[in-house]
Amino acid sequence: MGIVDELQALQSEALNAVGAANDLEALEAVRIEYLGKKGSLTRVLRGLGSLSAEERPAVGKVSNEVRGALEAGLEARRVMLADAALASRLVAEEIDVTLPGVHRYPGKRHVINQVVDEIVQVFLGLGYEIAEGPEVELDYYNFTALNHPPEHPARAATDTFYVRDLSGESAAVEGESDVLLRTHTSPVQVHVMEREQPPIYVLAPGKVYRRDVADPSHLPQFTQIEGLVVDEGITFGDLKGTLEHFVRELFGPDRRVRLRPHFFPFTEPSAEVDISCGMCDGKGCRSCGGEGWLEVLGSGMVDPNVFGYVGIDPERYSGFAFGMGAERIAALKYGVPDLRLFVDGDMRFLRQF
Amino acid sequence: MRVSLKWLKELVDIDLSVEALCDRLDMTGTKVEAVRVLGEAFEGVVVGQVLTREQHPDADKLSYCSVDVGDGTPRKIVCGASNFAAGDKVPVALVGATLPNGMTIKRAKLRGLESEGMLCSATELGVGSDASGLLILPVDAPVGMPYAQYAGVGDTVIQLEVTPNRPDCLSMTGVAREVGAVTGKQAREPRFTVSEAGGSRADELVSITIEDAAMCPRYTARVIRNVKIGPSPDWLAERVTAAGARPINNVVDITNYVMFELGQPLHAFDLSTIAVQDGRAAIIVRPARPGERLQTLDGQDRVLTEDTLVIADPSGPVALAGVMGGAATEVADGTTDILLEAAVFDRASVSKTSRRLGLISEASLRFERGVDPELAARASDRAAALLAEFAGGEVAAGIVDERPEKARAMRLTLRVETMNAFLGIALKPQEVMDILGALGLFAEPAEGGLIVTVPTFRPDLVREVDLYEEVVRVWGMERVPSTLPGGRERVGTLTPFQKHRDRIGAALRCAGLNEHIGLQFADPTDMVRLGWSLGPDEVPVDLLNPMSEEQAQMRWTLTAGLLRTVSYNQRRGVADVHLYELGNVFWTSPGRKLPKERMTVAGVLAGAWDKAAWNVAASHLGFFDGKGVIETLMEEIDVSRWKVRAAEHPWLQPGRSADVIVAGDVVGWIGEIAPATLDAYEVTGPVTMFELNVKMLSKAIATKIRYQDLPRYPAATLDIALIVDASVTEERVREAITKAGGTLLESVRLFDVYQDSAGAAERRLPSGKKSLAFSLTYRAADRTLTDEEVKPVHERLVRKVCTAVDASMRS
Repeated sequence: MGIVDELQALQSEALNAVGAANDLEALEAVRIEYLGKKGSLTRVLRGLGSLSAEERPAVGKVSNEVRGALEAGLEARRVMLADAALASRLVAEEIDVTLPGVHRYPGKRHVINQVVDEIVQVFLGLGYEIAEGPEVELDYYNFTALNHPPEHPARAATDTFYVRDLSGESAAVEGESDVLLRTHTSPVQVHVMEREQPPIYVLAPGKVYRRDVADPSHLPQFTQIEGLVVDEGITFGDLKGTLEHFVRELFGPDRRVRLRPHFFPFTEPSAEVDISCGMCDGKGCRSCGGEGWLEVLGSGMVDPNVFGYVGIDPERYSGFAFGMGAERIAALKYGVPDLRLFVDGDMRFLRQF
Repeated sequence: MRVSLKWLKELVDIDLSVEALCDRLDMTGTKVEAVRVLGEAFEGVVVGQVLTREQHPDADKLSYCSVDVGDGTPRKIVCGASNFAAGDKVPVALVGATLPNGMTIKRAKLRGLESEGMLCSATELGVGSDASGLLILPVDAPVGMPYAQYAGVGDTVIQLEVTPNRPDCLSMTGVAREVGAVTGKQAREPRFTVSEAGGSRADELVSITIEDAAMCPRYTARVIRNVKIGPSPDWLAERVTAAGARPINNVVDITNYVMFELGQPLHAFDLSTIAVQDGRAAIIVRPARPGERLQTLDGQDRVLTEDTLVIADPSGPVALAGVMGGAATEVADGTTDILLEAAVFDRASVSKTSRRLGLISEASLRFERGVDPELAARASDRAAALLAEFAGGEVAAGIVDERPEKARAMRLTLRVETMNAFLGIALKPQEVMDILGALGLFAEPAEGGLIVTVPTFRPDLVREVDLYEEVVRVWGMERVPSTLPGGRERVGTLTPFQKHRDRIGAALRCAGLNEHIGLQFADPTDMVRLGWSLGPDEVPVDLLNPMSEEQAQMRWTLTAGLLRTVSYNQRRGVADVHLYELGNVFWTSPGRKLPKERMTVAGVLAGAWDKAAWNVAASHLGFFDGKGVIETLMEEIDVSRWKVRAAEHPWLQPGRSADVIVAGDVVGWIGEIAPATLDAYEVTGPVTMFELNVKMLSKAIATKIRYQDLPRYPAATLDIALIVDASVTEERVREAITKAGGTLLESVRLFDVYQDSAGAAERRLPSGKKSLAFSLTYRAADRTLTDEEVKPVHERLVRKVCTAVDASMRS
């Protein structure tokens, strides 16, 4: 058998072997068997040196063809086997994507503080700073400097928590105390005005205390947010515009706002602020007790007597103040029926918001 | 203030619907709290005629009647009254009716006989004070007509919230004036004349002495003789009822009526009970003397103090001024001669007395808000006229009017331009004058603005700005254009501390804790239950009037509150609790007036992060989860120089507790709650908690962070396992490694801790030893490290560490 025949026989044998290889490993074995250093084709090719000069070109050509055919066959089979291997791996790796994922549990901000944060953001945007003050206060800051007359009923021990005064002052020794848990965040107004000269634009969130038995609509401790502006040329219209902006930011652009004249000792004129009920848009429904309006804020122009206590000239400056309860706003916003839920710390409640 | 619409319409024209009127009042500062239609209370009550009246066979005092109610089916009704006979017409409450007193009429058996309704007395219907028998109606009353329609009692009562600055609105005439002002109508004053009788003049019968004019600026007295005590006429009883009082008798009802009508509280004494001096009944207004006592109208014997203002006669106190009369001088059925008091008392004095004695009455409410000093004589005349007409009294001539100081009308200047600038509106002087005029103020133009004369019934108007409020509320707050302040020099920014506090909260949430806001009260027994102690000279802040013994102090730690919250959750079946709270704790010390407040943050972990899932096992939270939270916190807020140091605290389990140290200072603690403490708070453990000082954390937060080059050359990682005494801490070994590592050692990571368990059969380590395995990373910033370079460094490190912590290598 001539060498050419031998080569052609080798080619068909090798291609058969390629076709029989069922995975990439077997295919590699075939490659090594024929094309490896010690492979059959390699051995044949090595024998070319012993051929005559006439035979060499023709045999060389055939052997190159055989090598080419073999390499092409190997590659085609490799691609085919690789595709098949990938396809079967993908089938094997299929998962039920509806199984639950691996969950992280970042904690939640308390819903009251979410409300406070939201309100703070609105007023930071309006150029206000955030002011804070002590929760245990003197009667002077909580009442007197806020223009409450000495006999004002809010001062009564039935309404306000008093704290034991250890100063040894005579009143304290007699069992009376002018140290109390602040009943509103308004004393922060007084501290700020004592400390700073106008222009003053501050928002003061904080905890306040009243002697109410905890029930669905009362807590002995709740969160109030107080606002104070003192500047030249501040008008009642500025108060109105500010509160309207705030209400729309917090409750949405569709809500209407109305100011109802009211009385507070430390503002004059004073107004309560209602927003149109979100359930009935002011028509009156169960949610707003048929009124169509929900009371959310107290407000007014800073009373000149308050300016008197802190030494601000009411002929030069004017100002407004407003205050609201975060619990009430959160209850309205989220439909929470019982204020006690806010302080119970039930994980199932806290994780709802 | 309860306002009868029928009564109000006599004093001012109203052409608005009730709803529109209420809206207008709401928007001008007199909030309507409720509207009640009185006729509704008579639903199911009709005019009936008694057809037959028979004696009840089994009850002497009951009769058994057949009553025609106009529908052709006579009702069988058992009745206890005796003042009627067959043929009489009476109000009949049918089955299903609800009476004004709340009673609902049901079909009922009375001593064996079924009763299909009730025959009513005036009291039961709330239309009079006569409870002695049935209300017999005139013979022409149409049988079957609803009683409300027949009696014309379809009144509407509007309940107003009167703010404390508006005492004038605690009267019908004041409300009528306000309604007129806000609806553009003119209110009418009630008209009356007093006809005085002959005989002794009032000042021959009564003398008045006021000891302190500041406490009692005015005291008037009239004398009405020969009154006949009896029930009031129906219209009077109805009005007094509508205003919220209970009809009693004609004299008491008239004094109440005049109080509701004009706003002046009145008091009627039985003249014969007032001790006489110099031939006259002697009224003395003075502070009580120590030890004096008075039995008040409600039968209570009260011990008086020197700051109580009393009405006295020469024998002692007869009434608490402005608050309540005395029992001994009360008008009773046998009373014939009356001393009628109309006075003005100091607001603060009445307020103090009524609150101290717990006696808050319609009278005290009006006195403490402020009664018009000009009103007393007129109110006294009004009451005298009514007593003459409806109690048959003879009014003694004249009024004794003791008035040391006359009130002066307040005159204020209102600068219209200033007002417009303050309110942000543009009213003309005439518009302002019109509004003020409608409110009963008198305004006239003058240099620099308007001069406004304020009548004495508006004690709240004392400054120019008070008038601004009157103008804007009547003109309409809704008409004020909305603007935003245009001030300069405004930046909205948080302080560094506020930002730090927010970051601390955010980091704890990031670490998995939910924020809680608890009540900031503490139970005094918490101190014992936790075994807590405050610093030297520090004591808890006591409340003088706590809501309960369990809330008698301000909290000095967040721990007790959070433990209660864990218990609260566990009792409700919630076992997995991860909470933090950020808020103040309080303490004080002898000599301090105001306590100290310290912002503190605490966290609690109980149960697991979550129940086991198909691909994740449940992790039971313990000390290292808590420490992990602190590690996350410190990393998030950029505090690098911190560590924990084993430390014992009574509320923490020994051996599982530590102090948290930042920059060398103890800022708080972390640990698992001790079993005894868990029991004390009824909590199921293990519970891990920490509590940290927020201010100290804030101070340690890095304000500057410098960029560090990322590594450009590969690292060489070598592991070592060291066998050390079980008592050697990981921290000590790690520090020894770090110290020995030199500049090439980049990081040290503990990846295994091994110790033979106590009962293990196969012991892999010498007794009392443990193995700590670390992965060490070596790297140079400027070249790839070769094995030849790392090997000697590592070997030297191992030798040094073994010496330093007495360790041997584990093979």
